[in-house]
Amino acid sequence: MPVNTGPMHAVPVKAGGGLPWLAMGLLTAAAWGVAPFSLLGGLSLILLLLTALKLREARQRREFRLVSLLQLVTAGLLGAQQAELGSSLLQGLAVLAALAGLLQLELGGVTHLGSLLRRSGQLLLAALPMALVLFLLFPRFGPFSNLGGLGQFGAAATTGLSTTLEPGTIATLTQDRSPAARVAFPGGGPPPVPQRLWRVLVHDQFDGQSWRSLTAGTAGTATAGAGTPRPRDPEAFAGTDPSLGGAPTPGATQVWLSEPNGLLEVPWSGEGLPLDRHLKRDGQGQLRYDGSVGVRKLYSLAAEPAAAAWRRQPPTAQDLQMAAGKNPRLETLAAGWRLQGSGGAKAVALAEAWFRQQGFRYSLTNPLLPQIAPLDALLFEQRQGFCGHYASALSALMRAAGVPARVVSGYRGGTWVVPVGGSSFLDLRQSDAHAWSEVWIDGEGWRTVDPTLWVLGGPTTVGDSAAASAQAPRAMAAAADPGGPLDWLARQWWGLDLAWGEWWLGFDQRSQEMLLQRLLGPYRDWAGALLLVALALTLALGLAVYGWLRRRGEGDRLQQELNQLLRSCARSGLVPQPGETLGQFGGRLRQARPLLGPELEDFVDLLQQQRYGRPGAPQRQALGRLRRWGQSLRRQLRRSPS
Amino acid sequence: MKLGLRNLYIVPTGFGWLWLGGALFLQLVAIQTQSNGPLLLSFVMLALQLLSLHLTHGQLEGLEVRCGQPEPAFAGEAAAYPLIVRVPSACEGLEWRLPPGSFQGVGSLGPGEHQVALTWTPEQRGWQRPGKLRLQTTAPLGLFVCWSRWQVPAEQLIYPAPKPGPVRQVPMADWREKTAAAGALAGEGSEEWQDLRPHRRGDSSSRMAWKLLAQGRGAQTKRFQDPRLEPTLLAPDPALPQEEALEHLCDRLCQLHRQGQSYGLALTGLQIAPDRGNSHRDRCLEALALCR
Repeated sequence: MPVNTGPMHAVPVKAGGGLPWLAMGLLTAAAWGVAPFSLLGGLSLILLLLTALKLREARQRREFRLVSLLQLVTAGLLGAQQAELGSSLLQGLAVLAALAGLLQLELGGVTHLGSLLRRSGQLLLAALPMALVLFLLFPRFGPFSNLGGLGQFGAAATTGLSTTLEPGTIATLTQDRSPAARVAFPGGGPPPVPQRLWRVLVHDQFDGQSWRSLTAGTAGTATAGAGTPRPRDPEAFAGTDPSLGGAPTPGATQVWLSEPNGLLEVPWSGEGLPLDRHLKRDGQGQLRYDGSVGVRKLYSLAAEPAAAAWRRQPPTAQDLQMAAGKNPRLETLAAGWRLQGSGGAKAVALAEAWFRQQGFRYSLTNPLLPQIAPLDALLFEQRQGFCGHYASALSALMRAAGVPARVVSGYRGGTWVVPVGGSSFLDLRQSDAHAWSEVWIDGEGWRTVDPTLWVLGGPTTVGDSAAASAQAPRAMAAAADPGGPLDWLARQWWGLDLAWGEWWLGFDQRSQEMLLQRLLGPYRDWAGALLLVALALTLALGLAVYGWLRRRGEGDRLQQELNQLLRSCARSGLVPQPGETLGQFGGRLRQARPLLGPELEDFVDLLQQQRYGRPGAPQRQALGRLRRWGQSLRRQLRRSPS
Repeated sequence: MKLGLRNLYIVPTGFGWLWLGGALFLQLVAIQTQSNGPLLLSFVMLALQLLSLHLTHGQLEGLEVRCGQPEPAFAGEAAAYPLIVRVPSACEGLEWRLPPGSFQGVGSLGPGEHQVALTWTPEQRGWQRPGKLRLQTTAPLGLFVCWSRWQVPAEQLIYPAPKPGPVRQVPMADWREKTAAAGALAGEGSEEWQDLRPHRRGDSSSRMAWKLLAQGRGAQTKRFQDPRLEPTLLAPDPALPQEEALEHLCDRLCQLHRQGQSYGLALTGLQIAPDRGNSHRDRCLEALALCR
């Protein structure tokens, strides 16, 4: 058995093949769902296309290298738009394949796809410690404000809540079991069941029939529709913008993953400090995500010591605006309440008493309301309806009684899921869509009033799915249904997704500041030195890891055992001569180190027997013995002086 | 030569600079969108670049190169120049260049000793040394190029480039007589009729001169001789410049050798008697290569 078995490949530069195209495919999959008309989305799609064209005509090494680099940059651009676990995994795989493509260009001899990908993984693993040190410790910058946010132009709407709430529209959503959002609560459990109301849109413009949300909608229409001047610019009222030097808050308390719903508004509890530059709260308690509407949104909120400012934001004329004369009987009823006393609290109490006494029924299948005086028809003739009906009616009644009121749509309840791995989370489906009223109470602020709780057959407690399923029709029952195995799988995945989001989105400039504070304490000025030292250490670590991985991967198990022994020998200055067989080398070794004696002989014999002889002992046993002997030989080599 | 810190040089390739640009672009995107994905990727790219600096250098570090015994070759043609490379652990993506010539990929070398034949194209005859050997690698990612230069010490004997053309053939007056006297035993052939000799038992019947036998002039055997037995003494054509004449001589010499004929060489101050065989050819070619 010749000791020097180093093969020599004289293979010319060979490239192309499957690897670059594999990376292209992964990138295309990762680009799925990117908003094509946003600046960043368009840029990455164009880059993807150009890369594919370049790859198609590439012939030289230079060109293939460029393709790999373009693929990496595209993966980075996609990472800026989609940060969920699935997309991130795809982006990571694309990076792996692009690197393997680069390796293929250099290592002419290696053409096997699997080994190239393994090499690429080894390289990434070796580079990761350094990258993480930079990621954690390298100073972060705020965005260049004059460039504006990238990717603001919206895409077409998809199913979900609508900016216009007509009584009954939400009923169609209750049949829809598709996911709406997931929320995890790091460092705590879910809020108690009655508090599980997740607001999305505030509808404050009433035309006698439907409630519209003027501030809501896509970015382009966000402010254009408002005729009256409104002191409700995002964050203008609060002064709690995290970047404006507020006290550092603890980490995220809500991590949301919201499906695309055609809106910029995303669900939240109504409390909490946005941890993302893209997130803005407005004066009505809407949370707006500044970006494209067609993609999933991952965002997080931190606990805020003070109560949310929007609850105390005084009403405007808009909140009393009433299409007078459209619903005469409703107005007459409300006029009676107005005479009985002023103040929102009183009106709400009167309304609750009236609702409970009327014996309204909760129903998902309702006849269409007439065009003329629809709410009159609902309250005085039909007397059955859904959350949207009752919230519209109550808010209209309150306005007619002179109390500022509005309709809020969002989600209620949700199923608490504890997956096997990842974060526990509240699973919200489109069927959890809900509408309720908010009434201005002097001295208290905006109070949440849910008239659906006052009607017969409706859910008695907000979000109490068990109670709802006992009494409500099938759609509500379906909402509480844990679902099939696919559903179970999906929930496990979302759990992981949210755990990823907690970790991935959570680390920002502020978290970095806190980390440095914790690491260095008063020696904060030494952060640069810490970075350099950590970089040097991780570079050494990366090189050691890479070298170890490379050595470990050479040859089969027998060869690996032999290589280990040969390396030990080489450290003691015993190197096989060119053309020397293993047997000869073993003999020479025995002469040089007589102590090694019989064990070395056994080792060589067994190795040769395994390699060339008829299989005697089972492979596994032989390997075990080889390993034992090899370890003992290496130990003796280390001990005995040369 | 052992490659180490003293004789290895490393700089980023053009692609390396481009790579740095890509990483910085991703930094800008990450800063502007405040997202962690491109930030981490750009740091991974920077880390890979830093790592690649060491890995590329490590490919060549500890490599030992020495010359083999170069075989003679002809000028103007690709000449193989042997090198012996001792690789300590592994060496990937190795490329060589012996000027004048372009880079040749050697590929990956495992640990151990390897014989590598480099090709170069010598222009001049005589004892020649190729220019400085440059060996380089860009593995594993092509971000850095690490190289070393080494003046290879072993000289290679280069024969003149063989080019067909006129050659002067020196008449050898005494040559024919000498061979005739020696009995020309080696001169037997089958091409041209020479003369007759008395038939002996064992002579082929196809060579019997039947006509003479019929004429009653006794059994005679026809003797033949090959024309190439005619020894040739070659000399440079005096009408041509020396180098050109030597090239033509070289070509004629090789041609005669291929045909198996014997030839001699008459150069100024040197005369090689006609003979055949590989060693004779090598001796003649060497004389041509070193002719002053």
